[in-house]
Amino acid sequence: MDNKLYEIFNEKNVIIENKDMTWQEAVKIASEPLLKEGKITDVYVENMMKNVEVNGPYMVLTDYFALMHAKAGEGVNEVSMSLLVNNKNIDLEGKPVRIFMVLASVDKSSHLEYLQKISEILLDEDNFNTILHGEKEKILQILKNN
Amino acid sequence: MKVLAVCGFGVGSSMVLKMALDKVAKDLGIKVEVENTDLSTAKATEADAYFTSAELVSELENSVKNPVYPIHKFMDKNEVKEQFEKYLATLKEE
Repeated sequence: MDNKLYEIFNEKNVIIENKDMTWQEAVKIASEPLLKEGKITDVYVENMMKNVEVNGPYMVLTDYFALMHAKAGEGVNEVSMSLLVNNKNIDLEGKPVRIFMVLASVDKSSHLEYLQKISEILLDEDNFNTILHGEKEKILQILKNN
Repeated sequence: MKVLAVCGFGVGSSMVLKMALDKVAKDLGIKVEVENTDLSTAKATEADAYFTSAELVSELENSVKNPVYPIHKFMDKNEVKEQFEKYLATLKEE
């Protein structure tokens, strides 16, 4: 595969927080770097929140991890991702989440290689625990290695 | 053995589920071909077993003849393993 995660994650779009917040606030904080760079617009952020309201918290793919996404192409200028790790639990419609990953895709396929790599990383328990513990340098290191 | 990982759009979550199923099968030492797809394609695709979110189970069950297993958390290896083993157990009974 050609696409590397280090092309997509960097100092700016990996955010570590340690405060009480709602899941809506978490989605906004996680989206901020992508909004600033013009990769997504407010429409996409609203659509991600609507997705939870309409379809329930199915994006919580395992305990403490939510893959936030909405319809491809709507409010997305460039395939992009960002990551927020909060050191306190955030309630997402009844499920505890600490890792919010935003995935924005322009079409049905351009993000798949990234998603596949992310899944590989997160299915590895050591990597998952490192990300959950929220040390930015270590998280960037894992992402850079893949 | 061919199994399908199914989600609403067949773009994101079903691939994550496919990878979890691949990993579980590998851990168990079982050869299995896992494909991911959206709900409407899955309805018309033959497979030995289907894995999907709890919300989609009944709709899929109405359209396919082989068993459908619900997964609440697509990346939860323990849950995926448990459901996959349920399917394997049905094979032993036959």
